[in-house]
Amino acid sequence: MADHKYIGKSAVRVDGKVKITGAAQYVDDLEFGPGLLYAAIVESPHAYARIKKIDPSAALKLEGVVKVVTGKEFPYRFGLYMHDRYVFAQDHARFVGEQVAAVIARTPELAKKAAKLVKVDYEVLKPVLDVETALRDGAPLIHPELGKYQHVPWFFPEKDTNIAHFRKVRKGEPLKGFEDADEVFEDTYTVPRYAHCSIETHGAVGLFDHSRRLTVWAASQSPHTQRHLFAEALAPLGITHNDVRVIAPFVGGGFGGKAGVSMEILAASLATTVQGSPVKVLWSRAQEFYNTYQRQGVVAKMRLGVKKDGTITALEQKLYWDAGAYVEYGANVVNAAGLSATGPYNIPNVHIDSVCVYTNLPPGGPYRGFGYSEFLFGLESLFNEVAKKLGLDPVEFRRKNAIREGDILNYGGKMNPSGLHECIEKVAREIDWGKKRVSSDPKKAIGKGFSLFWKAPAMPPNAASTAFLKFNEDASINILVSAMEIGQGFLTVMAQIAAEVLGVPPTKIRVETPDTDRNPYEWQTVASHITWSTGNAVKNAALDAREQILKTVSRALDRKVESLYVEDEKVKSREDAAFALPLRDFVINGIMMKDGTFRGGPVVGRGMFMPEFASALSDPKTSQGGKPNVHYTVGASAIEIEVDRETGKIRIPKVVLGVDCGKVLNPELLKGQVTGGMLQGLATVLYEEMRFDDKGRLLNANFTDYKIPTAMDVPDEIVPIFVEHEQPDGPFGARGVGEHTMIPAAPIIANAIEDALGVRIKSMPITAEKIALALKEAAALRKEEK
Amino acid sequence: MAIQEAFEYAKPKTLREATKLLRKNKGAMVLAGGTDLVGYLKEGFVSPSLVIDIKSLAELKKIEFKGNALHIGALVTFTDILESKVVAKKLPVLREIAEKVASVGIRNRATLVGNICSAVPCLDSGPVLVAMDGVVHVKSTLGARKIPAEKWFLGARKTARKPGELVTGVSIPLPKGKAAGCYLKLGRYQGEDLAQASVFVLMVGGKKPEFRVAFGSVGPVPSRGRRIEKSLNAGESETAARALVGSEIKPITDIRATREYRLHMCEVMLERAVQAARARLTGDGPAYGAAII
Repeated sequence: MADHKYIGKSAVRVDGKVKITGAAQYVDDLEFGPGLLYAAIVESPHAYARIKKIDPSAALKLEGVVKVVTGKEFPYRFGLYMHDRYVFAQDHARFVGEQVAAVIARTPELAKKAAKLVKVDYEVLKPVLDVETALRDGAPLIHPELGKYQHVPWFFPEKDTNIAHFRKVRKGEPLKGFEDADEVFEDTYTVPRYAHCSIETHGAVGLFDHSRRLTVWAASQSPHTQRHLFAEALAPLGITHNDVRVIAPFVGGGFGGKAGVSMEILAASLATTVQGSPVKVLWSRAQEFYNTYQRQGVVAKMRLGVKKDGTITALEQKLYWDAGAYVEYGANVVNAAGLSATGPYNIPNVHIDSVCVYTNLPPGGPYRGFGYSEFLFGLESLFNEVAKKLGLDPVEFRRKNAIREGDILNYGGKMNPSGLHECIEKVAREIDWGKKRVSSDPKKAIGKGFSLFWKAPAMPPNAASTAFLKFNEDASINILVSAMEIGQGFLTVMAQIAAEVLGVPPTKIRVETPDTDRNPYEWQTVASHITWSTGNAVKNAALDAREQILKTVSRALDRKVESLYVEDEKVKSREDAAFALPLRDFVINGIMMKDGTFRGGPVVGRGMFMPEFASALSDPKTSQGGKPNVHYTVGASAIEIEVDRETGKIRIPKVVLGVDCGKVLNPELLKGQVTGGMLQGLATVLYEEMRFDDKGRLLNANFTDYKIPTAMDVPDEIVPIFVEHEQPDGPFGARGVGEHTMIPAAPIIANAIEDALGVRIKSMPITAEKIALALKEAAALRKEEK
Repeated sequence: MAIQEAFEYAKPKTLREATKLLRKNKGAMVLAGGTDLVGYLKEGFVSPSLVIDIKSLAELKKIEFKGNALHIGALVTFTDILESKVVAKKLPVLREIAEKVASVGIRNRATLVGNICSAVPCLDSGPVLVAMDGVVHVKSTLGARKIPAEKWFLGARKTARKPGELVTGVSIPLPKGKAAGCYLKLGRYQGEDLAQASVFVLMVGGKKPEFRVAFGSVGPVPSRGRRIEKSLNAGESETAARALVGSEIKPITDIRATREYRLHMCEVMLERAVQAARARLTGDGPAYGAAII
């Protein structure tokens, strides 16, 4: 392995100073002057209702109200992967909180007051609130027009049903696989909906100026995709891509929630109704919960065929996803999870149905883990149950079936380089697997849980990244990219990559958040793919710049290009140790020749990366063929818990996560990902949960009753283990790792609880309450038996 | 989120001035710490015509021990309680309670009196007052009243305070003998939370120990566990006392917990709180504030 100067080192965050000093600006910090208008939203109080009439007259009478806008002004459908969403509800409102109209006013207070005065007559319809009801014969159709919706070629909606997409995976001979099994186990696991809970709520400001230029400032993970969707949705107004500009300042947390377009469409659309005046739409915490994207709930029914020795012969997974009222993004979660619902195991015969079901709950969408956490909870829980019944050690059972490089994936391709087995060994050793500890407190039980995990980026096969890199007089560099810094340290890692190629320290490299007019194209900051994809683009841009530099020096000073290299901000020669030309001497002004003319000039690099090997086309009946996933990142995780037998409360002395990230680019940032991801995952299994009433109203759209972890909830010890089996097409061998760190959290907890107490809980979250009541019930049963 | 409706604001310099303002303005509300009130204003739950800020009334900012009772003025914050030497000496379990209220930032502003004026069912300050026969002191232009804590709490968010009355403080009579207490609060995670259920126990030492027991967050108001007290006073064990919990409280199921879990946990917490109080009385119990559940 080559020695690196900047790669693999914990470079200080390039956005650290601007954030620590408070200089960093977020959407709500931006100044727009006294002309700024504010929008407040009139929301549907019903989960399903026909809109009979909207009467804005009372609102319009309020002094300072500029306009009331309804669905009549914007009868357009749009969406990322499927056009099933509206700017405002049209004839039907499909979830509680859906935007039915907006009031634009001179102050936020006025807008809010006036929104309450907009009178909407509804005919209330019976909502469909769960997948079982939605799939029943004769269930009300939430989208009767489904058959007409435009969508990507890898979606398979079933018209005249509530099934928005049906992903089928058939590998090998599932029927025979189950026949060959010595034993078949089956079970059902359920996962509720979750919220991202970014500390910064969604916000966007739109300005449609008098030249018909539409600029949107948004808290965003996807500036270019937003530009594209705005242009698509508002095309009937004569707006083109060339007219739309998205500016993305710093973002206070994303976790998937700020990907695609949700509420931002309101700022873009409303701006066109008040030409010349900027309009701000800022979500409250409650709106953040019920009208952005939510992590979808799932009911997972699975069957596993095994040999007595623990060899898995077949897996059937039926995943029914509660995708909500609009699935333009969420259906791709269903798709991605369907393709990978075996987990990182080599299973010869596979039958997976991943079904995207419309319900009258808020739209589902992307959330860190993209469906993988959801199916892994049930799958890895079942694996433990199976191992137990076969009398096998759960780690041994996993080791036996864990996937290896070259094994055939569910859709037919081959598994990429994988350090999975190394992760298993190292994690098992670190958690002292096989050694049972007993608490000195008789009220406490100690248990350990183990799980593997994997995830591939879910993205269109042509998702691309680009980068510009320009030198300044002092040989400092600006990198222009359009992926987003959402806390993960993206900007820093891009600086490190360019630094490594160009011999300029990361402290002299600026990488900032984008403006789609100035910065080159990026698909989206999602899928744990930008370190890999944008990293490749930046590396290519740096290589391009380096080539220019070396050629200029070669040409001007008559030295062989092959002999030249860059180091410590200088061009040096392998043939002449005395030669060292500082970059600052020529990267803008060029090199002066004897006759006073110059060679070279400002160095500007350009880089692009698109995975030309990927394809989403495959047989819809089996998913065989194509190469939908660019690579999988794999790993193993284990936990030790101490649980109170009476209260069900859990303390976590230690959790371990081993992951094969290909190559560690920045150890400190990666450790941060492990801590943050694990904590987020543990919260989803221990206490987070969205709760709805029987009318489809979200009961806990606040932090009083939707709990996210505090510093006091951090495990005593979190041990990250990094394994490096390089990704051949990754920058310096790196592959994605951001989402993965939360994916195994639910099953390790569930398995540790079972290990400690002998109770298997099959629905998330596994609260102290659930544990205590399950134990009480088990004790009562034992008593009865006696 | 910004405050929705405009209101008048007054900051009286004397108690007399404050009570006068309260009598004259029917729509007035009192501001001390504001940690409840400002939230309510922002969410539009209340729309007072006048907010009377009592923070200038220095005489209400006192913690005193006199007449064998601990007096806590209306401006005493939970942080004041945590930092008070008098409290540490005379009623350390009150620190255990204060420490479990919300977070540091909130405790720096929120007052114990404000807590009992808001009187939400999950309040932390209720059980101790009910169990220890605390007294609420109110003043108006018509004179002063002393209201026993058990009669103070009338329902969820409902108190015995009459229009025009200002709560000036509470007092907690202390038992004559050596005593130790324990307050256990059940939350959904380690971070700040509203109580799913809470149990307060005080044990007064002596040849025949005497117990005080109260529950919070398992009914509209904090409730005294008199049957349990009687049983414990008669020398029955805390394990036996668990069986009486169901006869003392009738919790409901809501978003924070089910009825079953609340009942179960009140039994567990009662047993553990009595054990802790007993051990503390002899000096070898868990430190106040230590994790017991």
